[in-house]
Amino acid sequence: MAQSSTYNPALSGNPQSATGRAYPNGNPDLGYNPVGVRNTDSAIPLRRKSAVVHDYACDGPAPGNLAFRWTYGSNVAAKNRDPRVQVVQYNEDSFVLRQNVCVHWEAPFTYLLFGNKGALLIDSGATADAQHYPLRETVDAIITRWAQARGRSKVPLTIALTSGEDIAQNQGLVQFAGRPDTTIVPKPIEVMKRFYGLGKSWPAGTGKIDLGDRVIEVIPTPGTHKDGVSFYDPYCDFLFTGDLLFPGKINIGNDGDFIASLERLKAFAASRPVKWILGGHVEMMFVPGKYYPRFATFKPYERVLEMTPALIDEAIRYAREVQGKDMMLIRPDFALFNGVSPDQRTQVWPDGVPNINPPRPF
Amino acid sequence: MDRRTFLTYNAAAAAIPLSNMALSGLANAATAAARPTPIDFKSNLPAIGSFPDKWICGSSSCMDNIDPPVQVHWYNTHTAILRQNKAYSYEAPFAPLYFGNDRVLLLDEGFVQLRNDWDLRGVVDQCINEWCARNGRDPASLELLVAFSHLHADHYAATNQFADRPNTRYMGLTHEEMVGFWGMTNFPEERVTLDLGGRDILIWGSPGHVVSEFAYYDSYTQILYTGDMFYRGRCYISFWQPWFDSMKRLIDFCDTHPVTHVMGCHVEISRKDEDYAYGMTWQPDEAPVEMTVQQLREAYAHAQKITEPGIYFTGTVFLCNQTRGTTTIDKNPYRYS
Repeated sequence: MAQSSTYNPALSGNPQSATGRAYPNGNPDLGYNPVGVRNTDSAIPLRRKSAVVHDYACDGPAPGNLAFRWTYGSNVAAKNRDPRVQVVQYNEDSFVLRQNVCVHWEAPFTYLLFGNKGALLIDSGATADAQHYPLRETVDAIITRWAQARGRSKVPLTIALTSGEDIAQNQGLVQFAGRPDTTIVPKPIEVMKRFYGLGKSWPAGTGKIDLGDRVIEVIPTPGTHKDGVSFYDPYCDFLFTGDLLFPGKINIGNDGDFIASLERLKAFAASRPVKWILGGHVEMMFVPGKYYPRFATFKPYERVLEMTPALIDEAIRYAREVQGKDMMLIRPDFALFNGVSPDQRTQVWPDGVPNINPPRPF
Repeated sequence: MDRRTFLTYNAAAAAIPLSNMALSGLANAATAAARPTPIDFKSNLPAIGSFPDKWICGSSSCMDNIDPPVQVHWYNTHTAILRQNKAYSYEAPFAPLYFGNDRVLLLDEGFVQLRNDWDLRGVVDQCINEWCARNGRDPASLELLVAFSHLHADHYAATNQFADRPNTRYMGLTHEEMVGFWGMTNFPEERVTLDLGGRDILIWGSPGHVVSEFAYYDSYTQILYTGDMFYRGRCYISFWQPWFDSMKRLIDFCDTHPVTHVMGCHVEISRKDEDYAYGMTWQPDEAPVEMTVQQLREAYAHAQKITEPGIYFTGTVFLCNQTRGTTTIDKNPYRYS
């Protein structure tokens, strides 16, 4: 059974949340020197002569949390003064970036991961104009700072998209044109497959992006997009699923592919530890089964971004229910839209899910 | 005392502040002396006016929108048309402001409630001040009527901004208060005349999109304002037969009265007849808000053939007949087989 979709502070990883922790003052039984310590940096100056080589071998998921609430737009979008790109650092080598809802309603998430030999940017946001959405500037700043801390002069950057065709995720790519030390995964689907070494095996098999002791695996997951891929980070134990599985309105592009990809994802997740699934957007509210309409620029009651791996099973089960039918289906943590308009509505409410009307912002 | 007598009584009391008859004679004389020549709203009709070639229609990034919160377009010297900025609300309704010798009529108030979020009151006051300065009037002498086309929040949200405005009356938010505001006793057939001071506004019921809706005809510019029951976009028809009857009423009116433009409250369609989906905050190639009588007649002709719920395109507007669940015309662009 999937997680309850009500907000669970224990899962949010928010250290400020007193209710979220069974031991608000720390649990002495866990010992003073947990293994995660070696995956964090020291503030003691080391007077080192060469770059820091970080140890990405990790027992369990690397320590980290998403300790901030996402910016959620404003009632009057024109008056929004939140950061255009919100940066939340999950841990020293993993960053989550979110586009401001009032710059683009899709408000996509972009992930920046570092390894000993380079960095990976997953997805690129929904706005090309760097004045409105300074993704490149923000990424450059994070990389510069990270490189200083690690004593590196060069950090090669790879940019990969969960879907090359998705205009809610590929628009920021143009900002990186001509950036030195940068590899952009090619957009055309055949070239993209060859880049990942999946030319023959697609959609079976997995590709790799080696960041230096942190090898990101690439899993073909077409279904919402023809060229969809998901990424697995063995350091944080995250699955980055983009548009395929996220807490929102999942517009299925091809239901056969969608189910096959979820099953591939399930098999993959069974063979690796997965802490969270991180999608490309949040559209659900924090009450189960309710979501924001398209184009909304004020989403004050958003669900959290992270999903538990058990949701894959739930997604498979209900994707089978919509397979071959033009219908939508509401679940607590996502809604499936198969062959219907993205604004489709339904009177059918899932059994056993409390029907709570969230406050209407005005 | 019935409502109509009550309203007349108030108006009389305002004109003659003193109960003493001798003094009131003096007061009348004084008002008459201060009063400039009335503007003639009854000859050389229709009054010439123009719509802008292109309205301000949002921006790709809402938070970078630097357009004015309300676009004010003077159709002619005595008629302003206001439009809410798309980055303040995706509904971005239009709001005509009709000036008469005694009264000003504001129709529709946009989809933002608070004055510090969106200062409609300030903009309306400024328009009234400008008009008064041009015509040598005292703004305090003009009564403002704050009304709306129909009972939906994107048309009345800002009404409360006028609550403390002197010499102002605003429509209540119930069907009874709305019908009573125009002194109707036989909605929707009854057609009443609102005299703004030499400028007549004809008002009658136009239910169908919602029950509580009016059509407004300005005899000076001869613009027929059809609210949300007929506008350049998706006309959500909640109740088919009342809507069809209302269309018939509009057509009958056009048969007997000269109409220069038919104007709705929103635009949700491009010049190439593409649909702008519900909620969009940028409509770069937006169609004009004004329509011709011919377009209204075509829509009516098209509507006569409709027997089933569904979305129908008349060449001008989308008629969304009882489709509250499927009001989108676009599809998932990433479908593949």
